[in-house]
Amino acid sequence: MLKRRDLFRLSAAGLAYSGLSNLAFADGGSPGLLILLHLRGGCDGLNLISPGDDSDFIAARASELRVVGDGPDAGFPLGRGFLLHPAAPGLAELYKQGHLACIHAAGLADGTRSHFVAIDMIDRGIADNAALARTPTGWLARAGRGPAISAAATPGGELIGAASALALPSLAGGVVPAGGPPVQAALDRLYANAPGPFGAAVRESLSALAAIDHRLPRDPTGKVTLETKPAYAAAGELAGPLQTLAQLVKMEIGLASATLDLGGWDTHENQTGRFRGQVAKLSAGLAALWEDLSPWHDRMVVVAWSEFGRRLRSNKSGGTDHGRGGVAMVLGGKVAGGRIAGAWPTLAADRLDEGVDLAVANDIRAILAEALAAVDGRPPAPDVFPGFNAGPLLGLFRRS
Amino acid sequence: MTNRDPAFLATALARAGNGPRPGELDSLVRQGWAGWVEEQLAPTDADPALAPRLSSLLLRIRHGGGDGWEPVDEMRPLAFLDRPIDTLWPLAAGKQKMDGAERRRPRDEVLAATLLRAVHSRWQLREVMAGFWHDHFNVDFMSSDTLAATLPAYDRDVIRAHALGNFRQFLEAVATSTAMLIYLSNRSSRAGAANENFARELFELHTLGRDAYLNDRYDRWRDVPGALAGQPQGYIDQDVYEAARALTGWTIEDGGGIDGKRHLSESGRFAYVESWHDGYQKRVLATEFQPFAAAMADGRQVLDLVAAHPATARHLTGKLCQRLVGSRSPQLVAAAAAEWTRSAAAPDQIARVVRLILLSPDFAASRGAKLRRPLAVAAGFARGAGIDLLPTEGLINAISGAGQRLFGWPTPTGLPDDDAQFLGAQALRQRWALVMGLAENWWGCGTPSIPSAATLGQAAYAWQDALVGGPDPLAAAAILAGQGWSPDQPLGKPDAPDTAKKTARLAALVAMAPAFHMV
Repeated sequence: MLKRRDLFRLSAAGLAYSGLSNLAFADGGSPGLLILLHLRGGCDGLNLISPGDDSDFIAARASELRVVGDGPDAGFPLGRGFLLHPAAPGLAELYKQGHLACIHAAGLADGTRSHFVAIDMIDRGIADNAALARTPTGWLARAGRGPAISAAATPGGELIGAASALALPSLAGGVVPAGGPPVQAALDRLYANAPGPFGAAVRESLSALAAIDHRLPRDPTGKVTLETKPAYAAAGELAGPLQTLAQLVKMEIGLASATLDLGGWDTHENQTGRFRGQVAKLSAGLAALWEDLSPWHDRMVVVAWSEFGRRLRSNKSGGTDHGRGGVAMVLGGKVAGGRIAGAWPTLAADRLDEGVDLAVANDIRAILAEALAAVDGRPPAPDVFPGFNAGPLLGLFRRS
Repeated sequence: MTNRDPAFLATALARAGNGPRPGELDSLVRQGWAGWVEEQLAPTDADPALAPRLSSLLLRIRHGGGDGWEPVDEMRPLAFLDRPIDTLWPLAAGKQKMDGAERRRPRDEVLAATLLRAVHSRWQLREVMAGFWHDHFNVDFMSSDTLAATLPAYDRDVIRAHALGNFRQFLEAVATSTAMLIYLSNRSSRAGAANENFARELFELHTLGRDAYLNDRYDRWRDVPGALAGQPQGYIDQDVYEAARALTGWTIEDGGGIDGKRHLSESGRFAYVESWHDGYQKRVLATEFQPFAAAMADGRQVLDLVAAHPATARHLTGKLCQRLVGSRSPQLVAAAAAEWTRSAAAPDQIARVVRLILLSPDFAASRGAKLRRPLAVAAGFARGAGIDLLPTEGLINAISGAGQRLFGWPTPTGLPDDDAQFLGAQALRQRWALVMGLAENWWGCGTPSIPSAATLGQAAYAWQDALVGGPDPLAAAAILAGQGWSPDQPLGKPDAPDTAKKTARLAALVAMAPAFHMV
């Protein structure tokens, strides 16, 4: 009968998943870890970080959809007149410590107000509808940043076409197929020559899952022992994925990229309470991850962004409709934080996009490119963001 | 002669239904594929295997009690499937003191009924189409207890009532449904600053599709090609804004205040509130709307325009081809779109298009082109292995883990019809667990019927007959070798515990092979 170790060797041998099985996690001089957190649904950047004393803003928005500067629900001042939502004390602290930088009026250069078109373009690193058809792969896949993990049911769109991207929302209960080595052995045989993307996905998954399973912490009886940190609890649905990610980082499996999602931002109706809840989860989640991964700070960069911001004026449902410019954030030990980076187009009537939305003044690709350069130690290859010329740097990272 | 070829028929049934039950292939060979399709496109009320199971099913409900109600842990029959929306509404509104599990019970009953139907219904094609339309007109019934309570009405009166019917009528049933009016927030849309949520997804997801979103190319409606002739090729943001205005006042009777004195009643039914409607002139898809039209006329005109647009025919038939064939060849989509348009006024418009697709050469040539979705994996295994399936929470969780959260997709796109959706490492692991759990009855859903076989090798072949349409010696050898079992090993008496254990494991392994999943 096969022993566990033999099985591991069998399934890893000759398969493409050398990345996860061989690499140790980067030490000081090696490439770092890029964590991409997509705030799915169109996060209202103007409600997350409000231009607090801007008279155009105050005139356009009811106070329930603004961060105010005083009173019991006052926001956190970020400088340049901006106020961070009061439900984000964790982010405020990271900002104050200089690890977090925020970019307002950030987004896609293309004017789409469709979630799905915007997400597809950002995933592919382009800003042109016509280029979608000729750009089948994700920007992170083209950047060659494997091995990558999506702490979700499917790999992030940035990873479409990546050779080694694994979707793994949870580690609880181990990760190899139920039924143990005999089932794994049967699957290895059944899929050895199975054609197409399905066959390839099964082979890669079996091999990578075995490699990860091999390193999972276990008690003497073989039961997987994952630590649960109470600090994550306030992150709601983001807690599980963040803890999966942190666990994989600590297992030193050579992870280079990770993608996660936090949805719930498509607030067409009754925005105030729902938005507050999501902001609190985002803030608590990033603060907990930062605390949990303290030895990795200088090697990790988190980028959080949304596909677009929302309409300056609210609708009559107490919500906001799809807009343009939103907020992006970068978090990391090398981030030049504690400031709002990038241009601010203002909310003056003649500066609004289509007369209704905060314009996009800071291209999402510029932000992603700087983050990528920071973890890779060199600028992205030209095909990562095809045809994009970033111009002057936003200066999101300290020069070391 | 694919019409009577058993190998073709096995995968055809796994694509247009949830796979054959034992013996069904033989009768299908006699009937022929075209005959089966014809019968399935005209379902009747008769469903002899399903009806007694629905009426005798006991579904668990469990909650811990609270302020004013006692803890509950009991088996209850289904009570909500036939209820009209006004008797579901008190659960949705949530004004009575009761546990959330009681409020969500209507949704949980539909979930259980969906699993029963997937396995036992005679009208397998209708089940596939109901699944298709739930994805297309997605509502996330897991997102709130309010929505959860409305699912029986949406599933019955909107999705199932129109699944093979007329698209324009379907569209109006969706647009006036309690569930969609809540989910895409049109119920609170008012003149002055309309809520654009439903109008945008109506264009992008429900009808014309994103390929017809031309906002990056044109800023003014008159610049869209064809607009000045009244036939714009696509839509821009201005069409969304105007359609949102046209749909203001389409709401539900949720007890809300209309103005200072008047209130809506609390029935949960659709309502049109004149004073919330933006009555002034509009222009949608290059068509002028006159000011102050009759009640609901503006919204209905929007539905007429989007339903009749050529981009809608392409978008919808493309999705149908993707679901039923696993690809969208331009020739097939063009033929299906032509049928769609030709039958626009027919009460069975969708059935006609489905017939064309299922009888096309593309369908016949597409064996192995599509990955079964998790519900189809579970239902297909239960049918093939002869499990008299009892739906349980454990099974629903397992289907969800493999990538299909029934009635709970979080974004309005619905679960994408793309194999890649189910190829995540954890989703694949859960896919194997799904068949193993059913084979070994982990979740109390029932046990497979044991095939008559003298040896392990014969048992493997018997399962292959039942599950993948015929023997596959290579796969059987791989399975047996993996277990360290010899094909000649005697199986033992049918009632011996070891026999049941070994045959169950063999059934699971046979259903882990590629042929069970790519159909």
